[in-house]
Amino acid sequence: MKKTLTAVAAASAALLLALTGCSGGSAGGAPAGPVKLTVWTGFTGGDRPGYDQIVKDFNASHEDIQVSMSVQPWDSITQKLPSAWLTGSGPDIAAPSSDPNAIAQYVKTNSVLPITATGSGASEVNVDKIAPALIKEYTYNGKLYAVPANYATLSLYYNKKLFAAAGIDGPPKTVDELLADAKKLTVPEKKQYGLVLADNQTIQMWPILQWLEGGDIVDSKNCSVLQTPAGRASLSPWVDAVVNDKISPVGLTGAEADSLFSAGKAAMELNGPWAAPGYKSAGIDLGLAPVPVGKDGKSVTLGSTAPLAISAKTKYPEQAQEFLAYWTSKSAQKQFSLTTGFPTLRTDLADDADLKANDIISTFTEQVPDARLYLPQVPQATQVDANGYVPLIGRITRGQDIAAETAAAAKTINALTGCSS
Amino acid sequence: MTVGTPIRVEGGGTSPSTRAVSVGPRRRRRIRWTSAWLFMAPSLLILGVFVIYPIVVSFWYSLHDWTIGSDVQPFLGLGNYLALTRDPQFWNALVNTLELTVVSVAALVVLGLALAIALLRDSFITKAVRSAFFFPTVVSLTSIGLVWRFLLDPQLGLVAGISETLGLPAVDWLQSTALALPAVIFVDIWKNLGFVMIIMIGGLKGVPAERYEAGRLDGAGDWQLVRFITLPSIRPTLLFATLILTIQSLQLFDLVYVMTGGGPLFATDTLVTEVFREGFVNYRTGYASAISWVLFALIMLISLVQLRIFRYDDVD
Repeated sequence: MKKTLTAVAAASAALLLALTGCSGGSAGGAPAGPVKLTVWTGFTGGDRPGYDQIVKDFNASHEDIQVSMSVQPWDSITQKLPSAWLTGSGPDIAAPSSDPNAIAQYVKTNSVLPITATGSGASEVNVDKIAPALIKEYTYNGKLYAVPANYATLSLYYNKKLFAAAGIDGPPKTVDELLADAKKLTVPEKKQYGLVLADNQTIQMWPILQWLEGGDIVDSKNCSVLQTPAGRASLSPWVDAVVNDKISPVGLTGAEADSLFSAGKAAMELNGPWAAPGYKSAGIDLGLAPVPVGKDGKSVTLGSTAPLAISAKTKYPEQAQEFLAYWTSKSAQKQFSLTTGFPTLRTDLADDADLKANDIISTFTEQVPDARLYLPQVPQATQVDANGYVPLIGRITRGQDIAAETAAAAKTINALTGCSS
Repeated sequence: MTVGTPIRVEGGGTSPSTRAVSVGPRRRRRIRWTSAWLFMAPSLLILGVFVIYPIVVSFWYSLHDWTIGSDVQPFLGLGNYLALTRDPQFWNALVNTLELTVVSVAALVVLGLALAIALLRDSFITKAVRSAFFFPTVVSLTSIGLVWRFLLDPQLGLVAGISETLGLPAVDWLQSTALALPAVIFVDIWKNLGFVMIIMIGGLKGVPAERYEAGRLDGAGDWQLVRFITLPSIRPTLLFATLILTIQSLQLFDLVYVMTGGGPLFATDTLVTEVFREGFVNYRTGYASAISWVLFALIMLISLVQLRIFRYDDVD
């Protein structure tokens, strides 16, 4: 009886191990051949070739370290990575999300390794050459937990053909011109929209309009300012333009807004450099201009970055940091910008002649000094966006009262950020 | 030739046939537990590790402010459950889930049965039509969601194009807070109708023809035949269909996630999309586990009520 039970237990355990894919593996010893690093990212868009090129070039120049990058939808990474890193079964390096604020959660759960190999050397992350706002975004309690995988600004894409048909000479230079042009370019009979504004599942467009109008979402104490007179005033002209002048359909996702612009049914869209290849291949007579200046005469746009972090459980922390150093190096970033049209994240490439010669790169680069991140280091920023800001824009563009809705959003946001004032 | 399984009985030897067991005085069968466990162990182990353990642990999580990987997991007792009662998004998701379930299950059972009755006879045409209705069942919900999302697009979709051709305005099906949930329910019904129809046809074909003959001889009309013969005879089929559809609807995720992501403004948010958002976007594992347990209790409760309503008794 005992023997049989032992046999049962052994057989079952063996089967379970086989099913779960667990095995003892090779017994100890240093790995033969190069160190193999795995990387997960969600860069599935038009900028993907740029990232692939970085990995390819790194592998070619580092015989002792070989990197394989798995590109999968952001949703999949968001679901799998927390538990994968916790159990040590995840990748050595990952871009956990397209939202830079997501790194805070991984810092909280001790899942990411502080990056210590910083300095001016070739195998170090050149922190002092990377845009300071990005380093600040990824620094928690004085330690750097990620490097920027990219840095993009949003510019104004416009359809030259539709502009010509409306008798408008060139792109708007001020926020008032932007509003006037958006209304003029809206032709309901043709189902043509002046400026498509996505408000969910998108890179944020509404904060840019608010900043241009002199408003904001939260102040330096992370307290909502949406409900203040300035906050409401920054929203109302654009809400009015959407609700009454129909310059944009309501409730668009980012992909839907892009589809409308690609289909020639929208005259303008605020978007990042990743969108350019798609618009060109759709045959749009494409124009690209900096975001118009705001009421105060100053330029402002949204900056976007995705973090690249190292697992706290990687067996190869040195090699992983060397890879991040290469990723953010001057040569790799120059090549990346030329391939993708992204502005550079390095300050020492700002005046590079080759980058300046490229119209797309220079338009996006020109706005780097004026770019602001969305809810940078705001506590529970993901929820502030999902439960506060996105529902607010959704409600007011569907005709609900701005004063009442901003007050409600402020309550939600303040509860999330811990603002007590 | 029928070969009965030899059964070992007390007192040694085996009975010559199964018939022998029912004849003589009742004897205790000796159950060979060891062999039974041996055969059951692999599946029990898999069930234990991948189903039972996670279920139990998720309840433990639901009693904490649990964050995956965090050093401290504060114990809240029933705090998460109490927080749920004050969370408007939870109530909104619950109402949406119940609305979706009630409407889609009722529509599917009624339409599925009507379709089954209409297509009961076997002919080339009915077989072709049945296949057409069944086809969406074999396609994944994600693919269906993507296709319908495109079809319903008010600017670029086919539905809007047809509407405009007919002189009707294009409708913002998935962008409207009033229409998004009905649109999702419609697609859910469209997807599952063929499945219900096939089950119902199976049930209807099992009803003996003599019952209808007897009914007609007694002067029953068409409606009376359906009411007093068909429906009671297919009660087990109805139970199966409603139970499966109810559980499926209460757990609906893929279709909603792909078509609307729970929006616009949470108008199509269901309990499972909320579990996903809290657990995998906001990383509030404890809170998400509490919602899962409420959903589990809801499914148990509704299933018990259904089993009671459709209980099968020998008279049927």
